[in-house]
Amino acid sequence: MKSVLKTSIIYLPLLFIFSFARAQQGEVKLELNYNYSLPLGGFKNNVISNGSARGFAGGLKYVLNDKIDLGIYTGFQDYYQKYPRTVYHSDGQDISAVLSNSIQTVPLLGKVMFNPMGDKKAMIQPYVSFAAGINMIFFSQYLGEFGSAQNSVSFMAQAGAGVQIPFSKWSRSGFQLGVNYNYVPYSKNGYDNLNSLGIHAGVHFPMR
Amino acid sequence: MRKIMSLFSAVVLAALFITGCTKEPLNNLTNEESRIYITNRDSAVNFNSYTTFSISDSVGVIDNGDAYKSLNAVDQAYLNAVTKYMKQAGYTLVEKGQKPDLGINVSRIYQTSTGVMSYPDYWSYYGGYWDPYYWGYGGFGYGMPFYAYSVYSITEGALSIDLLDLKNVATNKDKIQLIWNGLIRGSGIFNEATADSQVKALFDQSAYLHK
Repeated sequence: MKSVLKTSIIYLPLLFIFSFARAQQGEVKLELNYNYSLPLGGFKNNVISNGSARGFAGGLKYVLNDKIDLGIYTGFQDYYQKYPRTVYHSDGQDISAVLSNSIQTVPLLGKVMFNPMGDKKAMIQPYVSFAAGINMIFFSQYLGEFGSAQNSVSFMAQAGAGVQIPFSKWSRSGFQLGVNYNYVPYSKNGYDNLNSLGIHAGVHFPMR
Repeated sequence: MRKIMSLFSAVVLAALFITGCTKEPLNNLTNEESRIYITNRDSAVNFNSYTTFSISDSVGVIDNGDAYKSLNAVDQAYLNAVTKYMKQAGYTLVEKGQKPDLGINVSRIYQTSTGVMSYPDYWSYYGGYWDPYYWGYGGFGYGMPFYAYSVYSITEGALSIDLLDLKNVATNKDKIQLIWNGLIRGSGIFNEATADSQVKALFDQSAYLHK
């Protein structure tokens, strides 16, 4: 009984995946996106509250079947904020400075994308995605012109949703538009996370 | 081949995007914003207990270990500003021969190396820059009751204002204690036009420094 259960757990998802296999199976597509990012939570409250219009994301996705894509994604986002001059107090010392925070992030993620209407030739194809991997974080903080930098690598998980719009009914290339919630724990310098919401738009096309 | 070219194009576009669109914090600072004002104090001192002060007649220039005195227009502007804000804080300016409670030395410090500038390091040779004899205590030394440091990463200078306790030399084991220090670092210092506002910033953040 136990072995039947074990076998079911392992093979049923695969059976589910391969049951959707269609003509595009095995195709590799390149996806490129412009990305706007909004810091959330502790990232927004304690580090940088400005949204970042300086980002992109892209990757290669393998079309497992009409409904499921597997991919490797990366990207870049630049966050920056300058805070007005403030006096920072510590025991016996006061420092008046303009504080600037500058953060660049480069994620490297494995992603699964589920297209519930992938087997239908609809002009608007919704999708949901889940990704996990690492995020390389380059954090510079300046008091006036005097800075210090700290580079680190953090775990990152991402949940996303959006739509894909083929260039034509039978095209395997198209536009996509979506949002991602990015979970990035970050426990340095008294901060707790670098979570963000990303809004992206871009194109995808087969690699022939 | 087309696959490789597509990937190569994507990488080149991404690289162009990264280098072109990153906001460089140092390029987004004015001279005023680049400056930091640091004040340190001896927390055990009651600044209200002092009444009179005297200020040095010139500015000490500490240039990578060499030291000399200077009194150009810029130096005079800093001396004037310190005098002005000490008076506004309620202290009375007297000649140094009138046994002032507080002595003030102003120094321009130039460093051409990078790293951490430790006050004790610079302070350990303080008697060589400012002979205690100047304050009427020949043969005495200086004492620094607190540890402080400033991190710097460029090869430029700092302006330092040191407030010395001349009133309690005898009770401080024959040492002229540093009781307050103001340090200005960043772009556009040593400037006659902004000397007053720079010194004002140090006094503004030292509300405890008053008679």
